[in-house]
Amino acid sequence: MPGNEHESGALAIRRLEAEQEELKESIGQIREQLNKYQRELAANTEMLKEISAELKRQKMMAGLLAVTGPGVQVTLDDSNIQSVPATADPSTYLIHEYDLRDVVNLLWMAGSEAIAVNDERIVATTSIYCVGSTIMVNDTRLSSPYLIQAVGNPVAQEDVLSNPAYLNEIKRKAALHDVQFKVDRVKMLTLPAYKGGFPIHYAQLGD
Amino acid sequence: MRSHSTQWSLTILCFVLGLLLMAQFRTQWMTSRTLLTTSSAEQLAIISSLVENNARLREEMEALEKQLSEYQQATGRAVLGPLVEELNKVKIINGLVEVSGPGVEVSIDGPIGVLDVQDLINELRNVGAEALTINGERLTLYSVVASTEDGAITVNATQLSRPYILQAIGQPEIMETALLRRGGLIATLERNYEGLAVSLIRREKMVLPVYKGAIEFVYASPVE
Repeated sequence: MPGNEHESGALAIRRLEAEQEELKESIGQIREQLNKYQRELAANTEMLKEISAELKRQKMMAGLLAVTGPGVQVTLDDSNIQSVPATADPSTYLIHEYDLRDVVNLLWMAGSEAIAVNDERIVATTSIYCVGSTIMVNDTRLSSPYLIQAVGNPVAQEDVLSNPAYLNEIKRKAALHDVQFKVDRVKMLTLPAYKGGFPIHYAQLGD
Repeated sequence: MRSHSTQWSLTILCFVLGLLLMAQFRTQWMTSRTLLTTSSAEQLAIISSLVENNARLREEMEALEKQLSEYQQATGRAVLGPLVEELNKVKIINGLVEVSGPGVEVSIDGPIGVLDVQDLINELRNVGAEALTINGERLTLYSVVASTEDGAITVNATQLSRPYILQAIGQPEIMETALLRRGGLIATLERNYEGLAVSLIRREKMVLPVYKGAIEFVYASPVE
């Protein structure tokens, strides 16, 4: 048996064994790291689920989801009278932006959960104003008749709207000048989602 | 005494270390001997099995490394970031987080009514108010401005006392110009209520508190 060859064989074996050790060590380390990542991913997935659920809830509150439910529909329209008497104030024959504002505010007071005016969803940044004789909601022009739909408890909503303490001007205009003011109970309303943006440029989270 | 005991400790330590070294040397010597006494044929068999085994291990390591890099790219952070950002924005809108920023502070002392307060809020929203409070009550979509039987104004069912102080976060100059313009809302209020004390201050930074009420849905459900 040639000694040299034999020794180099032994050397090769030791070298290979050392390599094996190193490989096993590396594999062990990688497995450990993989386990760590898998745990982290599981935690993130859990968090992702929670955040998605919370986002949906918040979007529902903000008016970013279409909603359905029972409620009332309020119809408001200008008077049908063709010629306003010369002595009368013509504005008392019309529905104004503050009339819409008043009805919307009372519907919130009655516990409504979602409101839309002519399919424009009322959201936190909504303003109801007028430009000349045109009423604007969410910077969108509305034309009469004005249909205010509100999801909520119809009994509570009707109670507030028919309460003689509220909406005196609209009720008077309806009684005297044929301005239209009608409240209908609806079993199932469907209100669209708000389609505009929420530009936040100045408000920052926290102090 | 002290140096004596130290000496003993050192002696014992050296003895133990010596034993350990000997044991190590023996094992190495023995494995070398075993390798040297195995036949060349056996050596070749060992070598080939080791080569094969190492190749398998290397393959396994490469597969694991690939998996690892996949995990490193997909820990979910990429999705979480934008989602949290959107959530925070909607929470600001809903008044469910404390916010800070520049804006205006309007103080009104006088017998103004519910509709006037609603008009003021509507006007501030119209000029881009991103967050609003009145006397420290954060206004949300669901906030109701009402009045008690004796004429006191309530917000979020909390009775307010005068002066009414509205804080609105947004572009201060735009809000100031809109409110103070001739024939604007403040001018109208001053005309309607004699002796009304109104002031408007631009603020660089205000901190508005979170809405404390709860918003729950009983009648409305989302359309899927």
